[in-house]
Amino acid sequence: MKTFSDKTNGLLNFMELKQFRYRIIYGIMMALLIIVSLACLLPILWIVLSGFKTPAEMYSIPPQLLPSGFSLEPVKNIWVKVNFFKYFGNTLMEICGALIFDLVINGLAGYVLSRIRPKGSAVLETIVFGTMLLPSVSMVPLYMTFVNMPILHINLTGSFLPLWMQAGCNAFTIMLFRSFFNGIPMDYLEAARIDGCSNIKIFFKIILPLSKPIIVVETIFCVIYSWKNFMWPYLILGSTERETVSILLYQISSGSMSITMPEIMLVIMFSIIPPGLFYALFSKQIMGGMNMSGIKG
Amino acid sequence: MKALEAKKHKRSRSTRFRNNLSGWALILPSVLLLFLIVWRPVGMAFYYSLFRLQGMKAVEFVGLQNFKDVITDTAFLQTVFNTVKYVFWSLIIGMPIPFFCAVMINEMVVGKGFFKFALYLPVIVPTVATCLIWKLLYMDGEGGLINALLYFVGIGPADWLSNKTLTIPLIIVAATWQGFGSTLIMYLAALQSVDQNLYEAARIDGAGFWKRFWHILLPHMRGIILLMAIRQIIGVFQITEQPLVMTGGGPNGASMSLGLTNYFYAFQYGQFDKSMALGVVSFLFLIGLTFIYFKLDRKFSE
Repeated sequence: MKTFSDKTNGLLNFMELKQFRYRIIYGIMMALLIIVSLACLLPILWIVLSGFKTPAEMYSIPPQLLPSGFSLEPVKNIWVKVNFFKYFGNTLMEICGALIFDLVINGLAGYVLSRIRPKGSAVLETIVFGTMLLPSVSMVPLYMTFVNMPILHINLTGSFLPLWMQAGCNAFTIMLFRSFFNGIPMDYLEAARIDGCSNIKIFFKIILPLSKPIIVVETIFCVIYSWKNFMWPYLILGSTERETVSILLYQISSGSMSITMPEIMLVIMFSIIPPGLFYALFSKQIMGGMNMSGIKG
Repeated sequence: MKALEAKKHKRSRSTRFRNNLSGWALILPSVLLLFLIVWRPVGMAFYYSLFRLQGMKAVEFVGLQNFKDVITDTAFLQTVFNTVKYVFWSLIIGMPIPFFCAVMINEMVVGKGFFKFALYLPVIVPTVATCLIWKLLYMDGEGGLINALLYFVGIGPADWLSNKTLTIPLIIVAATWQGFGSTLIMYLAALQSVDQNLYEAARIDGAGFWKRFWHILLPHMRGIILLMAIRQIIGVFQITEQPLVMTGGGPNGASMSLGLTNYFYAFQYGQFDKSMALGVVSFLFLIGLTFIYFKLDRKFSE
Protein backbone atom coordinates (compact mmCIF):
# COMPACT_ATOMS: atom_id res chain seq x y z
CA MET A 1 0.00 0.00 0.00
CA LYS A 2 1.37 3.34 -1.02
CA THR A 3 1.07 6.29 1.30
CA PHE A 4 1.34 10.04 0.94
CA SER A 5 4.98 9.95 1.98
CA ASP A 6 5.84 8.06 -1.23
CA LYS A 7 4.61 10.84 -3.40
CA THR A 8 7.44 12.82 -4.96
CA ASN A 9 6.10 13.40 -8.48
CA GLY A 10 3.45 15.72 -9.80
CA LEU A 11 1.96 19.02 -8.82
CA LEU A 12 1.73 18.07 -5.14
CA ASN A 13 4.42 16.30 -3.15
CA PHE A 14 4.41 14.58 0.21
CA MET A 15 5.55 17.66 2.11
CA GLU A 16 2.58 19.64 0.91
CA LEU A 17 0.15 16.83 1.46
CA LYS A 18 0.77 17.26 5.18
CA GLN A 19 -0.85 20.68 4.96
CA PHE A 20 -4.58 20.93 5.37
CA ARG A 21 -5.32 23.09 2.32
CA TYR A 22 -3.45 20.76 -0.03
CA ARG A 23 -5.23 17.81 1.47
CA ILE A 24 -8.49 19.54 0.60
CA ILE A 25 -7.36 19.96 -3.02
CA TYR A 26 -6.34 16.31 -3.10
CA GLY A 27 -9.67 15.28 -1.62
CA ILE A 28 -11.61 17.31 -4.19
CA MET A 29 -9.61 15.76 -7.01
CA MET A 30 -10.28 12.29 -5.72
CA ALA A 31 -13.99 13.02 -5.32
CA LEU A 32 -14.20 14.33 -8.88
CA LEU A 33 -12.45 11.25 -10.19
CA ILE A 34 -14.83 9.00 -8.31
CA ILE A 35 -17.76 10.87 -9.86
CA VAL A 36 -16.31 10.49 -13.36
CA SER A 37 -15.60 6.81 -12.72
CA LEU A 38 -19.20 6.31 -11.65
CA ALA A 39 -20.37 8.12 -14.77
CA CYS A 40 -18.35 5.64 -16.79
CA LEU A 41 -19.41 2.53 -14.93
CA LEU A 42 -23.04 3.23 -13.98
CA PRO A 43 -24.58 3.26 -17.46
CA ILE A 44 -23.05 -0.15 -18.11
CA LEU A 45 -24.15 -1.45 -14.73
CA TRP A 46 -27.65 -0.06 -15.27
CA ILE A 47 -27.92 -1.88 -18.60
CA VAL A 48 -26.86 -5.14 -17.00
CA LEU A 49 -29.27 -4.76 -14.08
CA SER A 50 -32.20 -3.62 -16.21
CA GLY A 51 -31.79 -6.64 -18.43
CA PHE A 52 -33.10 -8.74 -15.56
CA LYS A 53 -36.24 -6.64 -15.03
CA THR A 54 -39.62 -7.63 -16.31
CA PRO A 55 -41.16 -5.22 -18.83
CA ALA A 56 -43.62 -4.12 -16.15
CA GLU A 57 -40.81 -3.26 -13.74
CA MET A 58 -39.14 -1.28 -16.53
CA TYR A 59 -42.00 1.21 -16.78
CA SER A 60 -43.26 1.11 -13.22
CA ILE A 61 -44.00 4.29 -11.29
CA PRO A 62 -42.17 5.02 -9.06
CA PRO A 63 -39.24 3.84 -11.17
CA GLN A 64 -37.53 0.73 -9.95
CA LEU A 65 -33.74 0.82 -10.13
CA LEU A 66 -33.11 -2.80 -9.23
CA PRO A 67 -34.78 -5.86 -10.70
CA SER A 68 -36.84 -7.95 -8.30
CA GLY A 69 -34.82 -11.07 -9.01
CA PHE A 70 -32.11 -12.55 -11.14
CA SER A 71 -33.16 -15.49 -13.22
CA LEU A 72 -31.09 -16.86 -16.04
CA GLU A 73 -34.20 -17.88 -17.96
CA PRO A 74 -34.63 -14.60 -19.90
CA VAL A 75 -30.91 -14.53 -20.65
CA LYS A 76 -31.13 -17.96 -22.22
CA ASN A 77 -34.34 -17.10 -24.05
CA ILE A 78 -33.03 -13.97 -25.72
CA TRP A 79 -29.76 -15.68 -26.62
CA VAL A 80 -31.76 -18.26 -28.52
CA LYS A 81 -34.36 -15.78 -29.81
CA VAL A 82 -31.93 -13.45 -31.58
CA ASN A 83 -29.60 -16.35 -32.39
CA PHE A 84 -26.76 -14.41 -30.83
CA PHE A 85 -24.33 -17.21 -31.42
CA LYS A 86 -24.47 -16.63 -35.17
CA TYR A 87 -23.64 -12.93 -34.83
CA PHE A 88 -20.93 -13.75 -32.35
CA GLY A 89 -19.36 -16.26 -34.73
CA ASN A 90 -19.52 -13.81 -37.63
CA THR A 91 -17.84 -11.13 -35.55
CA LEU A 92 -15.12 -13.63 -34.63
CA MET A 93 -14.60 -14.37 -38.32
CA GLU A 94 -14.34 -10.66 -39.05
CA ILE A 95 -11.83 -10.19 -36.25
CA CYS A 96 -9.62 -13.19 -37.08
CA GLY A 97 -9.33 -12.28 -40.75
CA ALA A 98 -8.79 -8.62 -39.95
CA LEU A 99 -6.07 -9.56 -37.49
CA ILE A 100 -4.19 -11.72 -39.99
CA PHE A 101 -4.40 -9.09 -42.73
CA ASP A 102 -3.44 -6.35 -40.29
CA LEU A 103 -0.41 -8.09 -38.81
CA VAL A 104 0.93 -9.71 -41.98
CA ILE A 105 0.44 -6.95 -44.54
CA ASN A 106 1.12 -3.92 -42.35
CA GLY A 107 3.85 -5.77 -40.49
CA LEU A 108 5.67 -6.75 -43.66
CA ALA A 109 5.35 -3.22 -45.01
CA GLY A 110 6.83 -1.84 -41.81
CA TYR A 111 9.64 -4.39 -42.00
CA VAL A 112 10.47 -3.51 -45.60
CA LEU A 113 10.49 0.21 -44.91
CA SER A 114 12.58 -0.21 -41.79
CA ARG A 115 15.05 -2.99 -42.50
CA ILE A 116 15.20 -4.04 -46.16
CA ARG A 117 14.91 -0.57 -47.65
CA PRO A 118 14.89 -1.53 -51.33
CA LYS A 119 15.51 1.03 -54.04
CA GLY A 120 12.61 3.46 -54.03
CA SER A 121 11.93 3.24 -50.30
CA ALA A 122 11.77 7.00 -50.10
CA VAL A 123 8.90 7.03 -52.57
CA LEU A 124 7.11 4.30 -50.65
CA GLU A 125 7.52 6.18 -47.42
CA THR A 126 6.05 9.29 -48.96
CA ILE A 127 3.06 7.27 -50.13
CA VAL A 128 2.49 5.78 -46.70
CA PHE A 129 2.93 9.09 -44.95
CA GLY A 130 0.64 10.78 -47.46
CA THR A 131 -1.99 8.18 -46.67
CA MET A 132 -1.96 9.25 -43.06
CA LEU A 133 -2.62 12.82 -44.15
CA LEU A 134 -5.54 11.87 -46.35
CA PRO A 135 -9.00 12.38 -44.85
CA SER A 136 -11.79 10.10 -46.04
CA VAL A 137 -13.88 11.30 -48.94
CA SER A 138 -17.41 9.85 -48.81
CA MET A 139 -17.95 6.11 -48.47
CA VAL A 140 -19.35 5.79 -51.96
CA PRO A 141 -16.23 5.33 -54.14
CA LEU A 142 -14.87 2.64 -51.85
CA TYR A 143 -18.26 0.97 -51.79
CA MET A 144 -18.31 1.07 -55.59
CA THR A 145 -14.84 -0.48 -55.57
CA PHE A 146 -16.05 -3.38 -53.45
CA VAL A 147 -19.16 -3.90 -55.55
CA ASN A 148 -17.14 -4.02 -58.72
CA MET A 149 -13.46 -4.75 -58.14
CA PRO A 150 -11.26 -3.19 -60.82
CA ILE A 151 -9.79 -5.66 -63.36
CA LEU A 152 -11.38 -8.68 -61.66
CA HIS A 153 -14.96 -7.38 -61.94
CA ILE A 154 -16.23 -9.35 -59.00
CA ASN A 155 -18.60 -8.24 -56.28
CA LEU A 156 -17.07 -8.58 -52.82
CA THR A 157 -20.04 -7.32 -50.82
CA GLY A 158 -21.53 -10.02 -48.67
CA SER A 159 -18.09 -11.45 -47.91
CA PHE A 160 -15.65 -10.57 -45.15
CA LEU A 161 -12.90 -9.74 -47.60
CA PRO A 162 -13.57 -5.95 -47.86
CA LEU A 163 -13.31 -5.62 -44.08
CA TRP A 164 -10.14 -7.67 -43.95
CA MET A 165 -8.64 -5.65 -46.78
CA GLN A 166 -9.38 -2.45 -44.90
CA ALA A 167 -7.65 -3.86 -41.83
CA GLY A 168 -4.61 -4.71 -43.96
CA CYS A 169 -4.35 -1.17 -45.17
CA ASN A 170 -3.54 1.14 -42.29
CA ALA A 171 -0.73 3.62 -42.70
CA PHE A 172 -0.63 4.34 -38.96
CA THR A 173 -0.02 0.68 -38.24
CA ILE A 174 2.69 0.49 -40.89
CA MET A 175 4.44 3.42 -39.23
CA LEU A 176 3.97 1.83 -35.81
CA PHE A 177 5.66 -1.37 -37.01
CA ARG A 178 8.36 0.57 -38.82
CA SER A 179 9.36 2.55 -35.77
CA PHE A 180 9.39 -0.62 -33.68
CA PHE A 181 11.60 -2.49 -36.18
CA ASN A 182 13.93 0.50 -36.31
CA GLY A 183 14.85 -0.43 -32.76
CA ILE A 184 16.09 -3.92 -33.71
CA PRO A 185 19.87 -3.82 -34.21
CA MET A 186 20.98 -4.19 -37.82
CA ASP A 187 23.84 -6.50 -36.70
CA TYR A 188 21.43 -9.35 -36.07
CA LEU A 189 20.10 -9.11 -39.58
CA GLU A 190 23.56 -8.72 -41.14
CA ALA A 191 24.76 -11.82 -39.36
CA ALA A 192 21.77 -13.80 -40.58
CA ARG A 193 22.23 -12.48 -44.09
CA ILE A 194 25.88 -13.57 -44.15
CA ASP A 195 24.72 -17.01 -43.10
CA GLY A 196 22.57 -16.99 -46.21
CA CYS A 197 19.15 -16.22 -44.78
CA SER A 198 16.65 -14.75 -47.21
CA ASN A 199 14.67 -11.67 -46.28
CA ILE A 200 11.49 -13.58 -45.68
CA LYS A 201 13.34 -16.13 -43.55
CA ILE A 202 14.90 -13.33 -41.52
CA PHE A 203 11.44 -11.91 -40.96
CA PHE A 204 10.04 -15.15 -39.57
CA LYS A 205 13.15 -16.39 -37.73
CA ILE A 206 14.54 -13.19 -36.24
CA ILE A 207 12.13 -10.27 -36.52
CA LEU A 208 8.95 -12.03 -35.44
CA PRO A 209 10.27 -13.53 -32.19
CA LEU A 210 11.64 -10.11 -31.22
CA SER A 211 8.38 -8.37 -32.06
CA LYS A 212 6.14 -9.87 -29.42
CA PRO A 213 5.40 -6.53 -27.69
CA ILE A 214 4.30 -4.76 -30.85
CA ILE A 215 2.27 -7.76 -32.01
CA VAL A 216 0.45 -7.88 -28.69
CA VAL A 217 -0.34 -4.17 -28.86
CA GLU A 218 -1.50 -4.27 -32.45
CA THR A 219 -3.58 -7.38 -31.78
CA ILE A 220 -5.38 -5.63 -28.95
CA PHE A 221 -6.07 -2.53 -31.05
CA CYS A 222 -7.26 -4.63 -33.96
CA VAL A 223 -9.57 -6.83 -31.90
CA ILE A 224 -11.17 -3.92 -30.06
CA TYR A 225 -11.52 -1.87 -33.23
CA SER A 226 -13.01 -4.76 -35.20
CA TRP A 227 -15.48 -5.56 -32.47
CA LYS A 228 -16.61 -1.90 -32.39
CA ASN A 229 -16.62 -1.50 -36.15
CA PHE A 230 -20.09 -0.78 -37.47
CA MET A 231 -20.44 1.29 -40.61
CA TRP A 232 -18.49 -0.83 -43.08
CA PRO A 233 -19.66 -4.20 -41.76
CA TYR A 234 -23.19 -2.82 -42.08
CA LEU A 235 -22.69 -1.65 -45.66
CA ILE A 236 -20.88 -4.81 -46.73
CA LEU A 237 -22.61 -7.53 -44.72
CA GLY A 238 -26.01 -5.97 -43.90
CA SER A 239 -28.97 -8.29 -44.56
CA THR A 240 -26.77 -11.27 -45.37
CA GLU A 241 -26.02 -14.41 -43.40
CA ARG A 242 -22.79 -12.83 -42.18
CA GLU A 243 -24.14 -10.00 -40.02
CA THR A 244 -21.99 -9.06 -37.04
CA VAL A 245 -22.91 -8.08 -33.48
CA SER A 246 -22.82 -4.36 -34.29
CA ILE A 247 -25.28 -4.88 -37.13
CA LEU A 248 -27.58 -6.79 -34.82
CA LEU A 249 -27.48 -3.90 -32.35
CA TYR A 250 -28.34 -1.44 -35.11
CA GLN A 251 -31.27 -3.55 -36.25
CA ILE A 252 -32.54 -3.62 -32.70
CA SER A 253 -32.19 0.13 -32.34
CA SER A 254 -33.97 0.86 -35.60
CA GLY A 255 -36.90 -1.22 -34.40
CA SER A 256 -36.85 -3.81 -37.16
CA MET A 257 -37.08 -6.63 -34.63
CA SER A 258 -39.87 -7.28 -32.15
CA ILE A 259 -38.09 -7.31 -28.84
CA THR A 260 -38.85 -6.04 -25.36
CA MET A 261 -36.86 -3.37 -23.53
CA PRO A 262 -35.16 -5.75 -21.04
CA GLU A 263 -34.28 -8.03 -23.92
CA ILE A 264 -32.60 -5.13 -25.72
CA MET A 265 -30.52 -4.53 -22.62
CA LEU A 266 -29.51 -8.17 -22.43
CA VAL A 267 -28.33 -8.07 -26.04
CA ILE A 268 -26.32 -4.94 -25.28
CA MET A 269 -24.85 -6.82 -22.32
CA PHE A 270 -23.88 -9.73 -24.61
CA SER A 271 -22.12 -7.28 -26.90
CA ILE A 272 -20.10 -5.79 -24.05
CA ILE A 273 -19.01 -8.95 -22.24
CA PRO A 274 -16.49 -10.31 -24.80
CA PRO A 275 -14.54 -7.07 -25.25
CA GLY A 276 -14.97 -6.48 -21.52
CA LEU A 277 -13.24 -9.75 -20.65
CA PHE A 278 -10.60 -9.02 -23.24
CA TYR A 279 -10.06 -5.60 -21.68
CA ALA A 280 -9.88 -7.00 -18.17
CA LEU A 281 -7.14 -9.37 -19.31
CA PHE A 282 -5.10 -6.87 -21.28
CA SER A 283 -5.74 -3.47 -19.70
CA LYS A 284 -2.06 -3.16 -18.70
CA GLN A 285 -0.89 -3.72 -22.25
CA ILE A 286 -3.48 -1.30 -23.58
CA MET A 287 -2.23 1.48 -21.33
CA GLY A 288 1.36 0.71 -22.27
CA GLY A 289 0.49 0.34 -25.92
CA MET A 290 -1.05 3.76 -26.02
CA ASN A 291 2.27 5.22 -25.04
CA MET A 292 4.03 3.11 -27.63
CA SER A 293 1.76 4.06 -30.46
CA GLY A 294 1.73 7.76 -29.74
CA ILE A 295 -1.09 9.19 -31.78
CA LYS A 296 -2.75 6.02 -32.93
CA GLY A 297 -6.22 5.81 -31.35
CA MET B 1 43.23 -10.23 -57.41
CA LYS B 2 41.27 -8.17 -59.83
CA ALA B 3 39.17 -11.14 -60.80
CA LEU B 4 38.32 -11.76 -57.17
CA GLU B 5 37.30 -8.14 -56.69
CA ALA B 6 35.12 -8.24 -59.74
CA LYS B 7 33.52 -11.44 -58.60
CA LYS B 8 32.80 -9.97 -55.19
CA HIS B 9 31.40 -6.88 -56.80
CA LYS B 10 29.23 -8.92 -59.07
CA ARG B 11 27.92 -10.98 -56.20
CA SER B 12 27.12 -7.97 -54.09
CA ARG B 13 25.29 -6.48 -57.05
CA SER B 14 23.24 -9.58 -57.50
CA THR B 15 22.43 -9.80 -53.80
CA ARG B 16 21.45 -6.17 -53.85
CA PHE B 17 19.18 -6.88 -56.77
CA ARG B 18 17.70 -9.85 -54.94
CA ASN B 19 17.29 -7.67 -51.88
CA ASN B 20 15.41 -5.03 -53.85
CA LEU B 21 13.26 -7.63 -55.51
CA SER B 22 12.23 -9.37 -52.31
CA GLY B 23 11.71 -6.01 -50.62
CA TRP B 24 9.29 -4.91 -53.28
CA ALA B 25 7.58 -8.28 -53.30
CA LEU B 26 6.99 -8.13 -49.55
CA ILE B 27 5.58 -4.61 -49.60
CA LEU B 28 3.51 -5.14 -52.74
CA PRO B 29 0.27 -6.26 -51.01
CA SER B 30 0.40 -3.22 -48.80
CA VAL B 31 0.99 -0.83 -51.69
CA LEU B 32 -1.80 -2.42 -53.72
CA LEU B 33 -4.27 -2.11 -50.86
CA LEU B 34 -3.28 1.48 -50.11
CA PHE B 35 -3.83 2.34 -53.74
CA LEU B 36 -7.09 0.44 -54.05
CA ILE B 37 -8.68 1.46 -50.74
CA VAL B 38 -7.28 4.88 -50.00
CA TRP B 39 -5.94 6.68 -53.06
CA ARG B 40 -8.09 5.45 -55.91
CA PRO B 41 -11.40 6.26 -54.14
CA VAL B 42 -10.28 9.88 -53.72
CA GLY B 43 -9.70 10.16 -57.45
CA MET B 44 -12.99 8.41 -58.14
CA ALA B 45 -14.88 10.85 -55.94
CA PHE B 46 -13.40 13.86 -57.73
CA TYR B 47 -14.06 12.29 -61.13
CA TYR B 48 -17.56 10.94 -60.60
CA SER B 49 -18.79 14.04 -58.78
CA LEU B 50 -18.71 15.75 -62.18
CA PHE B 51 -21.11 13.22 -63.69
CA ARG B 52 -24.71 12.26 -63.32
CA LEU B 53 -24.79 8.66 -62.18
CA GLN B 54 -27.40 6.06 -62.80
CA GLY B 55 -26.80 3.40 -60.22
CA MET B 56 -23.01 3.18 -60.39
CA LYS B 57 -22.62 4.12 -64.05
CA ALA B 58 -21.72 7.62 -65.21
CA VAL B 59 -24.30 8.57 -67.79
CA GLU B 60 -23.76 12.27 -68.42
CA PHE B 61 -21.09 14.87 -67.77
CA VAL B 62 -22.73 17.64 -65.80
CA GLY B 63 -19.77 19.74 -64.65
CA LEU B 64 -20.36 21.30 -61.27
CA GLN B 65 -24.11 20.67 -61.27
CA ASN B 66 -23.91 18.11 -58.44
CA PHE B 67 -22.03 20.57 -56.28
CA LYS B 68 -24.62 23.22 -57.05
CA ASP B 69 -27.44 20.82 -56.17
CA VAL B 70 -25.83 19.81 -52.91
CA ILE B 71 -25.05 23.33 -51.78
CA THR B 72 -28.37 24.86 -52.77
CA ASP B 73 -30.33 22.09 -51.07
CA THR B 74 -32.70 23.71 -48.57
CA ALA B 75 -31.28 21.67 -45.70
CA PHE B 76 -27.61 22.29 -46.56
CA LEU B 77 -27.07 25.46 -44.51
CA GLN B 78 -28.84 23.93 -41.53
CA THR B 79 -26.65 20.84 -41.81
CA VAL B 80 -23.44 22.86 -41.96
CA PHE B 81 -24.62 24.84 -38.97
CA ASN B 82 -25.44 21.61 -37.11
CA THR B 83 -22.01 20.20 -37.89
CA VAL B 84 -20.40 23.35 -36.51
CA LYS B 85 -22.60 22.92 -33.45
CA TYR B 86 -21.37 19.33 -33.04
CA VAL B 87 -17.76 20.52 -33.23
CA PHE B 88 -18.43 23.41 -30.85
CA TRP B 89 -20.02 21.21 -28.20
CA SER B 90 -17.36 18.57 -28.57
CA LEU B 91 -14.74 21.19 -27.81
CA ILE B 92 -16.70 22.48 -24.80
CA ILE B 93 -17.55 19.05 -23.38
CA GLY B 94 -14.98 16.72 -24.86
CA MET B 95 -11.77 18.73 -24.46
CA PRO B 96 -11.56 19.65 -20.74
CA ILE B 97 -12.80 16.32 -19.31
CA PRO B 98 -9.96 14.04 -20.47
CA PHE B 99 -7.34 16.70 -19.76
CA PHE B 100 -8.37 17.42 -16.19
CA CYS B 101 -9.00 13.76 -15.47
CA ALA B 102 -5.48 12.96 -16.64
CA VAL B 103 -3.99 15.69 -14.46
CA MET B 104 -5.97 14.47 -11.46
CA ILE B 105 -5.19 10.79 -12.01
CA ASN B 106 -1.53 11.73 -12.22
CA GLU B 107 -1.76 13.25 -8.74
CA MET B 108 -3.36 10.22 -7.11
CA VAL B 109 -1.37 8.19 -4.62
CA VAL B 110 -3.78 5.26 -4.52
CA GLY B 111 -6.40 4.16 -7.02
CA LYS B 112 -4.52 5.23 -10.13
CA GLY B 113 -5.01 1.83 -11.69
CA PHE B 114 -8.70 1.70 -10.87
CA PHE B 115 -9.42 5.17 -12.25
CA LYS B 116 -7.55 4.41 -15.45
CA PHE B 117 -9.44 1.15 -15.79
CA ALA B 118 -12.84 2.72 -15.17
CA LEU B 119 -12.34 5.75 -17.38
CA TYR B 120 -11.05 3.71 -20.30
CA LEU B 121 -13.77 1.05 -20.05
CA PRO B 122 -16.32 2.87 -22.28
CA VAL B 123 -13.76 2.88 -25.10
CA ILE B 124 -14.14 -0.87 -25.59
CA VAL B 125 -17.94 -0.79 -25.75
CA PRO B 126 -19.13 -1.15 -29.36
CA THR B 127 -20.10 2.21 -30.87
CA VAL B 128 -23.65 1.13 -31.62
CA ALA B 129 -24.01 -0.29 -28.11
CA THR B 130 -22.88 3.07 -26.68
CA CYS B 131 -25.45 4.88 -28.78
CA LEU B 132 -28.13 2.45 -27.65
CA ILE B 133 -27.18 2.72 -23.99
CA TRP B 134 -27.39 6.50 -24.11
CA LYS B 135 -30.55 6.45 -26.17
CA LEU B 136 -32.07 4.37 -23.37
CA LEU B 137 -30.65 6.65 -20.68
CA TYR B 138 -32.20 9.66 -22.39
CA MET B 139 -35.47 7.86 -23.06
CA ASP B 140 -38.57 9.97 -22.58
CA GLY B 141 -40.91 8.86 -19.81
CA GLU B 142 -39.95 6.97 -16.66
CA GLY B 143 -38.18 4.12 -18.46
CA GLY B 144 -35.02 6.20 -19.00
CA LEU B 145 -32.48 6.26 -16.21
CA ILE B 146 -32.11 10.03 -16.19
CA ASN B 147 -35.85 10.54 -15.91
CA ALA B 148 -36.03 7.81 -13.27
CA LEU B 149 -33.39 9.63 -11.22
CA LEU B 150 -35.17 12.94 -11.75
CA TYR B 151 -38.34 11.33 -10.43
CA PHE B 152 -36.67 10.69 -7.10
CA VAL B 153 -35.57 14.31 -6.91
CA GLY B 154 -39.15 15.23 -7.59
CA ILE B 155 -38.88 16.62 -11.12
CA GLY B 156 -41.24 15.23 -13.73
CA PRO B 157 -39.96 13.41 -16.80
CA ALA B 158 -38.32 15.75 -19.30
CA ASP B 159 -37.75 15.38 -23.03
CA TRP B 160 -34.16 14.75 -23.96
CA LEU B 161 -33.17 13.68 -27.45
CA SER B 162 -36.52 14.80 -28.82
CA ASN B 163 -35.76 18.32 -27.61
CA LYS B 164 -34.43 20.31 -30.57
CA THR B 165 -31.95 22.43 -28.63
CA LEU B 166 -30.60 19.60 -26.49
CA THR B 167 -30.20 16.86 -29.03
CA ILE B 168 -26.73 17.80 -30.35
CA PRO B 169 -25.11 18.40 -26.94
CA LEU B 170 -26.64 15.16 -25.69
CA ILE B 171 -25.24 13.19 -28.62
CA ILE B 172 -21.85 14.78 -27.91
CA VAL B 173 -22.09 13.71 -24.26
CA ALA B 174 -22.55 10.12 -25.43
CA ALA B 175 -19.70 10.42 -27.92
CA THR B 176 -17.46 11.93 -25.24
CA TRP B 177 -18.32 9.15 -22.82
CA GLN B 178 -17.23 6.68 -25.45
CA GLY B 179 -14.09 8.39 -26.63
CA PHE B 180 -12.47 10.41 -23.86
CA GLY B 181 -10.62 7.44 -22.38
CA SER B 182 -8.23 7.16 -25.28
CA THR B 183 -7.47 10.89 -25.24
CA LEU B 184 -6.92 10.67 -21.49
CA ILE B 185 -4.29 7.95 -21.89
CA MET B 186 -2.34 10.17 -24.25
CA TYR B 187 -2.49 13.11 -21.87
CA LEU B 188 -1.30 10.81 -19.09
CA ALA B 189 1.65 9.72 -21.20
CA ALA B 190 2.53 13.33 -21.92
CA LEU B 191 2.30 14.21 -18.22
CA GLN B 192 5.04 11.70 -17.42
CA SER B 193 7.57 13.85 -19.24
CA VAL B 194 7.08 17.00 -17.17
CA ASP B 195 10.43 17.92 -15.68
CA GLN B 196 10.00 17.33 -11.93
CA ASN B 197 12.87 19.71 -11.16
CA LEU B 198 10.77 22.58 -12.45
CA TYR B 199 8.15 21.83 -9.81
CA GLU B 200 10.86 21.67 -7.17
CA ALA B 201 12.33 24.99 -8.26
CA ALA B 202 8.88 26.56 -8.31
CA ARG B 203 8.20 25.26 -4.81
CA ILE B 204 11.38 26.83 -3.53
CA ASP B 205 10.31 30.10 -5.12
CA GLY B 206 7.04 29.78 -3.25
CA ALA B 207 4.75 29.07 -6.20
CA GLY B 208 1.50 27.47 -5.03
CA PHE B 209 -0.57 24.71 -6.58
CA TRP B 210 -2.35 26.87 -9.13
CA LYS B 211 0.78 28.77 -10.13
CA ARG B 212 2.57 25.49 -10.79
CA PHE B 213 -0.38 24.23 -12.77
CA TRP B 214 -0.58 27.42 -14.80
CA HIS B 215 3.09 28.12 -15.42
CA ILE B 216 4.66 24.65 -15.62
CA LEU B 217 2.09 21.97 -16.39
CA LEU B 218 -0.02 23.90 -18.87
CA PRO B 219 2.82 25.20 -21.05
CA HIS B 220 4.26 21.69 -21.17
CA MET B 221 0.92 20.27 -22.34
CA ARG B 222 0.01 23.06 -24.77
CA GLY B 223 1.28 21.17 -27.82
CA ILE B 224 -0.60 17.97 -27.20
CA ILE B 225 -3.77 19.81 -26.21
CA LEU B 226 -3.73 21.64 -29.54
CA LEU B 227 -3.06 18.37 -31.33
CA MET B 228 -5.96 16.64 -29.62
CA ALA B 229 -8.23 19.60 -30.37
CA ILE B 230 -7.55 19.44 -34.11
CA ARG B 231 -7.84 15.67 -34.09
CA GLN B 232 -11.18 15.99 -32.40
CA ILE B 233 -12.41 18.65 -34.82
CA ILE B 234 -11.52 16.37 -37.73
CA GLY B 235 -13.25 13.41 -36.09
CA VAL B 236 -16.42 15.19 -35.01
CA PHE B 237 -16.71 16.98 -38.33
CA GLN B 238 -17.40 13.57 -39.87
CA ILE B 239 -19.79 12.36 -37.14
CA THR B 240 -22.24 9.89 -38.71
CA GLU B 241 -22.88 6.79 -36.66
CA GLN B 242 -24.01 8.49 -33.46
CA PRO B 243 -26.80 10.62 -34.99
CA LEU B 244 -27.75 7.74 -37.27
CA VAL B 245 -28.31 5.36 -34.39
CA MET B 246 -29.53 7.78 -31.73
CA THR B 247 -31.86 10.11 -33.62
CA GLY B 248 -31.74 9.30 -37.32
CA GLY B 249 -31.07 13.01 -37.85
CA GLY B 250 -34.20 14.13 -36.02
CA PRO B 251 -36.13 15.69 -34.50
CA ASN B 252 -37.01 17.42 -37.74
CA GLY B 253 -33.42 17.51 -38.98
CA ALA B 254 -32.09 19.10 -35.79
CA SER B 255 -29.25 16.58 -35.45
CA MET B 256 -28.46 16.13 -39.16
CA SER B 257 -24.69 16.30 -39.71
CA LEU B 258 -22.72 16.52 -42.94
CA GLY B 259 -21.60 12.92 -42.50
CA LEU B 260 -25.14 11.69 -42.03
CA THR B 261 -26.40 13.71 -45.02
CA ASN B 262 -23.66 12.12 -47.06
CA TYR B 263 -24.70 8.69 -45.86
CA PHE B 264 -28.37 9.36 -46.61
CA TYR B 265 -27.58 10.65 -50.11
CA ALA B 266 -25.71 7.46 -50.86
CA PHE B 267 -27.49 4.65 -49.08
CA GLN B 268 -31.00 6.01 -48.48
CA TYR B 269 -31.74 7.99 -51.65
CA GLY B 270 -29.25 6.20 -53.93
CA GLN B 271 -27.80 9.49 -55.18
CA PHE B 272 -24.16 8.45 -55.34
CA ASP B 273 -23.19 11.46 -57.45
CA LYS B 274 -24.43 13.95 -54.88
CA SER B 275 -22.87 11.99 -52.05
CA MET B 276 -19.50 12.20 -53.75
CA ALA B 277 -19.89 15.91 -54.47
CA LEU B 278 -20.60 16.53 -50.79
CA GLY B 279 -17.70 14.23 -49.93
CA VAL B 280 -15.34 16.30 -52.06
CA VAL B 281 -16.46 19.51 -50.36
CA SER B 282 -15.79 18.15 -46.86
CA PHE B 283 -12.59 16.49 -48.08
CA LEU B 284 -11.15 19.83 -49.17
CA PHE B 285 -11.99 21.36 -45.83
CA LEU B 286 -10.58 18.45 -43.87
CA ILE B 287 -7.37 18.25 -45.83
CA GLY B 288 -6.62 21.80 -44.73
CA LEU B 289 -7.18 20.84 -41.09
CA THR B 290 -5.18 17.63 -41.44
CA PHE B 291 -2.30 19.57 -42.88
CA ILE B 292 -2.23 21.80 -39.82
CA TYR B 293 -2.50 18.73 -37.59
CA PHE B 294 0.56 17.05 -39.02
CA LYS B 295 2.54 20.27 -39.03
CA LEU B 296 1.85 20.50 -35.30
CA ASP B 297 2.37 16.81 -34.71
CA ARG B 298 5.84 16.90 -36.24
CA LYS B 299 6.61 19.85 -34.04
CA PHE B 300 5.30 18.41 -30.79
CA SER B 301 5.65 14.65 -31.00
CA GLU B 302 9.23 14.71 -29.76
